[in-house]
Amino acid sequence: MLGGWLNQIVQGVLLGGLYATFAMGLSLSVGIMRFVNIAHGDLIVLVSFLILTLTTTLGLSPLAAVLVTLPITFFGGYLLQRLLLQRVLGKGVLPIILVTFGLSIIVQNGLLGTYGADTRKVAGGSFETATLMLGGGVNVGVLPLTIFLSAIAMVVVLDFVLYRTRLGARIRAVSDDVAAADLIGLPSARIYATAMGIVGVTIAISAGFMSIWTNFDPTSGPSRLLVAFEAVVLGGLGSLWGTLAGGIIIGIAQVVGAQVDAAWQLLAGHLVFLAIFMLRPEGLFPKY
Amino acid sequence: MNGTPLLSVESLSVFYGHFRALDAVELSVGAGEIVSIIGANGAGKSSLMKAIVGQADRIEGRICLEGADLADRSTAEIAKAGVALVPEGRRLFSSLTVEENLRIGQEVGREGDIGFDDIYRMFPVLRERRRQLARQLSGGQQQMVAVGRALLANPKLLLCDEISLGLAPVVIGDLYEMLPKIRERGIGILVVEQDISRSLAVADRFYCLLEGRVNLSGRPAETSREIVARHYFGG
Repeated sequence: MLGGWLNQIVQGVLLGGLYATFAMGLSLSVGIMRFVNIAHGDLIVLVSFLILTLTTTLGLSPLAAVLVTLPITFFGGYLLQRLLLQRVLGKGVLPIILVTFGLSIIVQNGLLGTYGADTRKVAGGSFETATLMLGGGVNVGVLPLTIFLSAIAMVVVLDFVLYRTRLGARIRAVSDDVAAADLIGLPSARIYATAMGIVGVTIAISAGFMSIWTNFDPTSGPSRLLVAFEAVVLGGLGSLWGTLAGGIIIGIAQVVGAQVDAAWQLLAGHLVFLAIFMLRPEGLFPKY
Repeated sequence: MNGTPLLSVESLSVFYGHFRALDAVELSVGAGEIVSIIGANGAGKSSLMKAIVGQADRIEGRICLEGADLADRSTAEIAKAGVALVPEGRRLFSSLTVEENLRIGQEVGREGDIGFDDIYRMFPVLRERRRQLARQLSGGQQQMVAVGRALLANPKLLLCDEISLGLAPVVIGDLYEMLPKIRERGIGILVVEQDISRSLAVADRFYCLLEGRVNLSGRPAETSREIVARHYFGG
């Protein structure tokens, strides 16, 4: 009995790793660039379909497909920021929400028109089903474990980029005071675009994992956005480690909720989010 | 001042929508010269600074650095050309350390011989506090970082916008003592201030702005304080 619960909590932690990968890019755009990208989940789904296409039409392995998408999503994010989002940044909260909401609708309908409404999944082969028996009734899937370790690696790398590199200092400077950055000649638009390129890379990684682990369809984006948003808010704005913790908390809540009743899985995650949000509206580890 | 001035502003008008903040302003700054712009609130001093760094909404007239027109250049390009601003209110990046703030100045500017050691010699306290976040410093120390950040851009022209604002008199005195030392490096300095006596004491020349127009200019030593005060207040 105890082993069963322990196993479920471990599964929840690993599921939290997947949620953290969804949330990492959103954490950057909310915490650093200070806007909520309503299309974040749809962009993850869009890249998942791209990976699906690369694996089915070109016969690439999922890993190779993700590697191919990394530069595409970097430049996609860069151009999206430079050509569209930058035009409405700094003009109040509403314009950026409306623009990204519109982008979300365009992506969903574009995918529906191209791929239809069927649910899809990328075949991960034996990697998908391999399991490690840890004893005590705890079994760990190699795929979820890889995703979890990758989530930690993403936090470490992003934290290093943000706090140990010149690019990171520039991104944080623009995040602190974009008007001051403009006044002294720091090219804020180019820096924001580079940051959005990095968000694009995180989207590609999370899309790669999601497309192997779960089913997805063109309308899956908003549910991914919701989980990502909850993880970011729970963790506290600007804290990547907090986002990882937020993802883990939601993952554990969902798995434990499902143990009580399968219908409680999603609801349990939202309820735990609400409870913590009421107690600590600033999140668990806020940086701002 | 002989030959081409470092900065020349010719018939400069600055507009915010239909409002004209500056009206046909003419001024110049030479290399190794401190020029002070005085004027009351709303006289157009900060608009002049913004126009020089390419941040004004709309301008008419010419702003030239060593004879080259800065029109249509971005703020980043103007910084690379050799213009550095110490903005009003310091405008440091609060979540960056002192050293990171200074390095940002170095990155936006041009190559030159002013380095971190020069700044730390000028402001020794910044060496001790280099790992601290900018928001943890006192106002005076923050202003030192703002000046240091601008100097690390190795400017030909340093713009100081209200550097005394909100600081204790002793700190203001220390900062103003630095300006002649900076001038010795051949850097032209344009100082915008509301504190007339402080800025005239350090300036080689001055311009007085009233309602967007230059209504008096000259050398502080050759102009009586009564005349300056009358033009400052528009009497």
